Amino acid sequence: MKQTAESIRDRFMKIGIDVPVEDIESRLDELIKKFKVPSNEAQRSVTNYFLKKYSIPKNEFYVRQAEPQLTKIVDITENGQWANLNAKVVQLWENTHESISQVGLLGDETGIIKFTIWKNAELPLLEQGESYLLRSVVVGEYNGRFQVQVNKNSSIEKLSEPVIMGGGDFTPVAREAELRNIADLAGNQWATVRGKVIQLWENSHESIEQAGLIGDETGVIKFTNWASSELPDMEEGKSYMLKNVVVSEWNGKAQVQLNRSSSIEALDEDIEVRTSMFTYFGAMVDIQTGSGLIKRCPECKRALVKGACAEHGKVKGEYDLRIKAVLDSGTSTQDALINRELTEELSGISLDSAIAMAADALDPGVVLDKLKHELVGRYYTVTGHKLDRYILVESITPSTSLDRELLDQMLAEPLAEQEVE
Amino acid sequence: MAGFFREAARRVFAKELKDSNLTSKDENDQYAPQYLLTPTGANVNRIFIVGTLIEKEDIGTDSEYWRGRVSDPTGSFLIYAGQYQPEAAQFLAECEMPAFVAVIGKTSTYTTDDGNVLTSIRPESIQQVDELTRNLWVLDTAKQTLERIRAVEAQEDPNYKLAKEHYSIDPEIYREMVKKALESLKDNT
Repeated sequence: MKQTAESIRDRFMKIGIDVPVEDIESRLDELIKKFKVPSNEAQRSVTNYFLKKYSIPKNEFYVRQAEPQLTKIVDITENGQWANLNAKVVQLWENTHESISQVGLLGDETGIIKFTIWKNAELPLLEQGESYLLRSVVVGEYNGRFQVQVNKNSSIEKLSEPVIMGGGDFTPVAREAELRNIADLAGNQWATVRGKVIQLWENSHESIEQAGLIGDETGVIKFTNWASSELPDMEEGKSYMLKNVVVSEWNGKAQVQLNRSSSIEALDEDIEVRTSMFTYFGAMVDIQTGSGLIKRCPECKRALVKGACAEHGKVKGEYDLRIKAVLDSGTSTQDALINRELTEELSGISLDSAIAMAADALDPGVVLDKLKHELVGRYYTVTGHKLDRYILVESITPSTSLDRELLDQMLAEPLAEQEVE
Repeated sequence: MAGFFREAARRVFAKELKDSNLTSKDENDQYAPQYLLTPTGANVNRIFIVGTLIEKEDIGTDSEYWRGRVSDPTGSFLIYAGQYQPEAAQFLAECEMPAFVAVIGKTSTYTTDDGNVLTSIRPESIQQVDELTRNLWVLDTAKQTLERIRAVEAQEDPNYKLAKEHYSIDPEIYREMVKKALESLKDNT
């Protein structure tokens, strides 16, 4: 704390004001010890207090303080730190938010860092490849990575001499991600994959162009092609090379995302997908809420909750029939999503008759009851692709006969003999 | 919701459930599930049974409280459904008897004054099913019980070891039980 007090005193000394160090210390002490304020917050608060006391304009004080020091990118290590940078604009990214003016990467001889210029900073636009002196930018931290924010207290000056970049020329074109097997993909990397689109899903969000499953000889993975990528649509059953996709992880599962840096190339070959079709045998022990006769949003096909879509609000829903079932083998459980077609086939209730049933009873719950009545407690074998905790059921077969072979085999097992393996 | 998982519904014959009396629960967590360890080492929280509903009675005083008896080839299970199991209670109130029923529920135990432990099932769901489903269940339960007996004999994990220590019963009794259950399938088909 003594050190902090001294450093505040030194800063005031530079502008010719001698603040008694005991005053600073006692204020810091009160904030930190008594009011449990974090040290850097206390430091700021105390500094501001004395600025006010001696009627020094804040901007003047801070600019003057910040002026002489230039920070290297590699030295940016503290959240909330202010810095002045001499840096080159390595890359400009697509703007993701209306309050942001520009976003991209800055580099100097020591490293590269992300930067964000806020619209309300009202600064002139930077050009890719040019070098600038950026004054009074703030360091922020997001997901364990540092970035610099350029706000309305910051200033930018174009440099006539370019900043030399360390580690050779960093240009995005020079980087093409390595071709990888789908089974080997793990989170937080760039990759290139080649595979066959085995399933396209109904679009769940307007910012998504396409989503579905793509597979190669080693496995299957979920992909999302964002609308902002401006890439062409893919067709189910065709094979493609997807260059420079981002592999991310959600709920422990890897998935790939296509963005503006990605590309799609149609391939002539037909890639053989290692089918990750999954089969599960068990008793249906539950049908969960959200099953039976439901309404979906006409725009995004999401199931409505109390007549409202999470994205589009109150909408006139479209009827659908589905089952979220829990199958149970006795040692494990498996959630299964059964679509309208299979639900109709399995239960013998068509969508139209389900609507009629619900209208008669003034309650869509009767459809769910009926499904439970028909299906729960019975044994089924389901097959489908696995996604997160669900099997997207492609076929479901009720058990229709007793496995005589198994019965005879078990009966033949000797009674008293102990098995040794 | 990390850490949440659904308890698998164990397959246990009535005789084995009746013989069970060792319960366990994580004392540090009031929401922890209670388990009942059976003689063949099944750690039961949820259970799935299919059998014949042979008795039912409303034993409630103020509100309806239904007791049902469901038999399998080895004995019978008691199920209790009151106001907190409305679907199951309604089923018991309305159903005809006898009937094949599939019950999914949680086991509960009650210790009598003289120290006996009575086991019963609080149903989450009861549905009427066909005879085939009942036979499939017997086969399924036989298979899983035999697997557990083997594991108890081999003392594969702490549960099986504990079961063997706690129940000083010869596992052969349950092998006999399974055999009888299987033979009943052979007879009636």
